[in-house]
Amino acid sequence: MTLFRLAFLSLKSRGMTVGLTILAIALSVVLFLGVEKLRTGARASFTDTISDTDLIMGARSGSVQLLLYSVFRIGNATNNVTWESFQDIASRPEVSWAVPISLGDSHRQFRVMGTTPEYFERYSYRGGRRLDFQQGRVMSDLFDAVVGADVAEQLGYKVGDPIIVAHGLASFTEHEDTPFRISGVLEKTGTPVDRTVVVSLEAIEAIHVDWQSGAQRPGAPTSADRLREMDLQPAAITAAMLGVESPLQIFTVQRAINEYPEEPLLAVLPGVALQELWGIVGIAETALVGVSAMVVVTALIGMSAMILSGLNARRREMAILRAMGAGPRAVVALLMIEAILMGAIGSATGVVLLYLGLIAVQPWLDYTYGLYLPITALTAQEGLLLIAVVAASALVSLLPAIRAYRMSLADGMMVKM
Amino acid sequence: MKHLVLALSVFPAALSAEQTRSLDAHMHGAGTLGIAFSGTEFSLSLEAPGADIVGFEHAALSAEDRDLVQAAISDLAKPLSLFVVPNEAGCTVKSANVALAMAQIGKHEAGGDHSDEATEGHAHSEDQETRHSEFHAEYLITCQNIDAIDSIRFDYFERFPNSQELDVQVVSPKGARAYEVERSAADLDLRGMF
Repeated sequence: MTLFRLAFLSLKSRGMTVGLTILAIALSVVLFLGVEKLRTGARASFTDTISDTDLIMGARSGSVQLLLYSVFRIGNATNNVTWESFQDIASRPEVSWAVPISLGDSHRQFRVMGTTPEYFERYSYRGGRRLDFQQGRVMSDLFDAVVGADVAEQLGYKVGDPIIVAHGLASFTEHEDTPFRISGVLEKTGTPVDRTVVVSLEAIEAIHVDWQSGAQRPGAPTSADRLREMDLQPAAITAAMLGVESPLQIFTVQRAINEYPEEPLLAVLPGVALQELWGIVGIAETALVGVSAMVVVTALIGMSAMILSGLNARRREMAILRAMGAGPRAVVALLMIEAILMGAIGSATGVVLLYLGLIAVQPWLDYTYGLYLPITALTAQEGLLLIAVVAASALVSLLPAIRAYRMSLADGMMVKM
Repeated sequence: MKHLVLALSVFPAALSAEQTRSLDAHMHGAGTLGIAFSGTEFSLSLEAPGADIVGFEHAALSAEDRDLVQAAISDLAKPLSLFVVPNEAGCTVKSANVALAMAQIGKHEAGGDHSDEATEGHAHSEDQETRHSEFHAEYLITCQNIDAIDSIRFDYFERFPNSQELDVQVVSPKGARAYEVERSAADLDLRGMF
């Protein structure tokens, strides 16, 4: 107990150096745990992009590719799915609902997606949350569009504003003759929906009525009213979200789609495809953890160097201790206790800083990047990491402690003039 | 010159094609298994190459081959001895459907290309039929205490010595996950799926 008090007081007397060392440890712990929190948060956010959808169906390609273009709107489909095949699959008895989506057009830098109003009831994210409207409502007219929160914010849109949809992805040819009107603005979700302009499936067909082979047909454009009267059943869609009657039938439906004889189709389970995708991204994740672990190691080595360099200055202190009857082991113990104290205080400070930081940046991260970091207690694994940091402090203090042990046997007792 | 020959040999085939042709990726040694949990029941959906199950993929013509197929089908009809769940779960088979499917790609003309066989990783030298057979099985299993299923032991690999691995997809109320179960590690840990 005396040793503990001595160690504490000794640290206190060297406040500045010790404070900086503790700060270095604390910051390294913040970084390490922060990366861990960010990693699990990013993974959860990513996995939460789509929930309650049993299968995603598209042209036969790869499961990750299908997921990327249909859910994340990254990349493009290799092929479309014909309307007939979609109807065929959707009318299977095991399928309880099917929402078609049609991609390929854009508005400024945002993707335009054609779908049915059922999309707003079926699409859910973050464990079953539905899409909510900030203003307005689901499209009711052929030329109504619903925009995501980011689209509305970045382009300053509100309900009633007209917007023009461009053909293809680059807006070199705009469908100026068929302007849309914004009927609703969605709440921020932190998913790719925020960056999407949603129109009806028929609208996608309508804007292409006057277009042939990628160029505008000469002559007067078909009027909006005329378009409203036309039969605008699409010939093809890009992908579809499916729900099954009972989870027990998921694999039956998946097999039926994958072996659909009339057209090469692919059905994937979103969770499995997300897992596969994360397996690819996961390498960077491991690298990040490795780097932050190295920062902790660096801070601890710094502490060891600090104790070591302090030894010379503390010769007198050690000699007095020895003269007072402290054995060389006590000297070793003293130095180790000092290191453990620094490690523990550093870790504790790190945890406090981490939570302060989390509370401060959480709303901003959620709003700006759609990355929701839940503020939860430390997990058992994180607790173990902290214990490992303290244990490692004891370990790295062995070097200066052994040196002090050797020195203290003779040093200071001999008269040096 | 080489290109021209290729073009000539491909074109007539393309023009005369009246039906769609497609063939699943087919890899000997590897099958797929889907497991879906819901309420007190779970379903299993197995697809395995004939080579894994009976050791051959041609039509069973000899009595010996037919016996092998019969024995395989009757064993496949007992899913709980192939995919063993803990006893405490008290599971019984509600339905089991096993089928042997033959996949065949058109007729083989002399000099036709064998590209459709590239996926299987071996060439038929004697057997000139581009034929694959696959066993398809669907099961529905009901359990008294489904939560007791924390793992599944794949005795499947013991029964069918040619099988090497199964790509497993599991769906539960907690979500969907993919696993790979191999002969050398024939246990599927399902903790975390309930």
